Amino acid sequence: MDFSLSDEHRMLQDSLRGILNRHTGDDAMAPLLEAGVIEALLTEDEGGFDGSGAAVALVFEELGRAGAALPLIGTMIGRAALAQAGMPDDEARAAFADAEPGTRADRGVAIRADGDRLTGRKTMVAGAEDATHLIVTTADALWLVAARAEGLALTAFPMMDGQRGADLEFAETPAQRLGSLSDFGAVLSRAALAHAARTLGEIEAAVDLTLDYLRTRKQFGRALFDFQALAHRAAELTVEREQARSAVVNLAAHLDAEPHLRDRHVQACKVTVGRVARLVAEESVQLHGGIGMTEEYALAGMIRRLIAGDTAMGDADYHLERFANGEAAWT
Amino acid sequence: MDMRFTPEENAFRDDVRGFLQSELSPELADKVRLHQPLTKAEMEGWHAKLNARGWLAGNWPVEFGGAGWTAIQRHIFEEESARAHAPRVVPFGIAMLGPVLQQFGSKAQQDRWLPRILNGDDWWCQGYSEPGAGSDLAGLRCRAERQGDHYVVNGQKTWTTLGQHANMIFCLVRTSSEGKKQEGISFLLIDMETPGVTVRPIVLLDGTAEVNEVFFDEVKVPAENLVGEENKGWTYAKYLLTHERTNIAGVGFATAALDNLRRVAGAQIHRGRPLSQDPVFAAQMAEVEIELMAMSTTNLRMLSAAAQGQAPGIESSMLKIKGTQIRQRLDALTRRAYGGWAMALPSEGGNEGQPLGADEALAASATWLNNRKLSIYGGSNEIQRGIIAGALARG
Repeated sequence: MDFSLSDEHRMLQDSLRGILNRHTGDDAMAPLLEAGVIEALLTEDEGGFDGSGAAVALVFEELGRAGAALPLIGTMIGRAALAQAGMPDDEARAAFADAEPGTRADRGVAIRADGDRLTGRKTMVAGAEDATHLIVTTADALWLVAARAEGLALTAFPMMDGQRGADLEFAETPAQRLGSLSDFGAVLSRAALAHAARTLGEIEAAVDLTLDYLRTRKQFGRALFDFQALAHRAAELTVEREQARSAVVNLAAHLDAEPHLRDRHVQACKVTVGRVARLVAEESVQLHGGIGMTEEYALAGMIRRLIAGDTAMGDADYHLERFANGEAAWT
Repeated sequence: MDMRFTPEENAFRDDVRGFLQSELSPELADKVRLHQPLTKAEMEGWHAKLNARGWLAGNWPVEFGGAGWTAIQRHIFEEESARAHAPRVVPFGIAMLGPVLQQFGSKAQQDRWLPRILNGDDWWCQGYSEPGAGSDLAGLRCRAERQGDHYVVNGQKTWTTLGQHANMIFCLVRTSSEGKKQEGISFLLIDMETPGVTVRPIVLLDGTAEVNEVFFDEVKVPAENLVGEENKGWTYAKYLLTHERTNIAGVGFATAALDNLRRVAGAQIHRGRPLSQDPVFAAQMAEVEIELMAMSTTNLRMLSAAAQGQAPGIESSMLKIKGTQIRQRLDALTRRAYGGWAMALPSEGGNEGQPLGADEALAASATWLNNRKLSIYGGSNEIQRGIIAGALARG
């Protein structure tokens, strides 16, 4: 057994770190694309050069660690789904429309399909403004919608995770059914891994910042780390961080497993990472005190991204129920 | 034992409900419910209505213009106000400075400042914390030097809530560096319009700017604005903090938050039914409801003991811890009930466009983010545990 990165993956990691050190915010997008970040997330059949769980996990962990809120997951899902449906497109920029208003994480509550038309709403669609393709979920299927299809209205806004999102309103909008959700279970599981790995990177960043603060901030004449009640809670955060890391490793290693086993790992990963993200969000603010609540300090964005990471594609509660019932992840 | 409210207390509750029904506009209640920042005029307007009814200072004795309520009456008022989404009474003048002046201020100070608090002539804010003195409040360094008939103040305060609206600030300042650090602190009233006072807003992670930094550069303060004795300010500060903690359990706010959670979970759909019928989510709601039932009674037991003359000690620390835990759990469940919508980013003004019809989801996100402060301010929950543990260790 060997948990270390392959030489190729270490090179990929170095290259990502270099770019993310030099560029912040949206400025990182162009150099990342140039470095082949999308292709690293896709298999050769999908027009990429890797697409393994390990590659997806390492890319998004680095992005999360750097706090880079870039809409890459939509394009990864889009190109992989298009390739699987026999319509590969190496230029596609896709957005994934999954969340719906009026429900915690169910699909098909606010949107319905009628023949080859969609009617209803999706919300929190990252990267929708710049997308060429929209990949849309309904109660049981995955659909392709052209970005400028008739009967489609878009309202964009900022989201908790730092990305721009949009509400999509469909009014008998023409759509192409790509297949059932379970047909695309491998692609959706890869996206869940991407969200979880990005959240893991954010967990690491928030824990590191908190540990640094406890080492340097002095009250009552000593460092906060000298107060045992605080030190133990910091220690607990690192224990939970390792749990989150292992849940990501488990899912990365089972992306190609048979669907039932793969789905168990999707659910376990979303539950573990989601819960740890919530804990770290709450505890890192608390251990900082007031400074942790200010927008000027780096923690503010991390907190918002951490709770957003739990929310994406079903939160910990949603996946816990399905795990307990022995249900599939994508139905 | 009798857990029922007396007929007088029930009649008082009816009075409060009647007042809220006739005086609280639905527009204002909606702003409070949706966690939208209130304007200064809206807060002052609500104070004026309460003052006209004689209810602005429920905690003050009648001889100072207060309502002279019992602890139970105050609890009833706070609970009903929170459930009706009335603006909270801005605490700095009424709940904090008022009691200190009544206990330790001179007759002249009482005559001058107390009526102005009630009439809304002054808006007070609090100058306690400093960048280097948070939990370690007694480590404060903002200096006041006596020069003839005035003090000269130099230094910085932070986390000054609503300081942007204030014309007056009560400050803890260092007047001596001899002996124990607690023994060189004084309690000073400072006019914010004095030259050398600068206020700078601090934006918080929910996008609002309700707290501020306040800087003092060679600020001249008349010596008559010293409350009590020089170097005795720590005693007054501790007195003030106990008063700050009287409504610290926040039973009314928690009850309102539970009402709201029930409504949200009843409307969100999960597997074709309301989310509130999902056994996993329902169990989490039930757990926090059960905690609130017990905490409400803990609060009433402690209020009742205080009414019988027992000095509040570690009880207020216990209420602060449990009360904030319950409110933060309610906030978390409400945010999570919204699912994807909880990704909406609250912003002050909100001119950049927001998801359609998501006002209440935005309020839930803003509340979660903003209420992280509950377990930090007014003495963090870690400080409260230290107070409890210290008292227990002394036996």
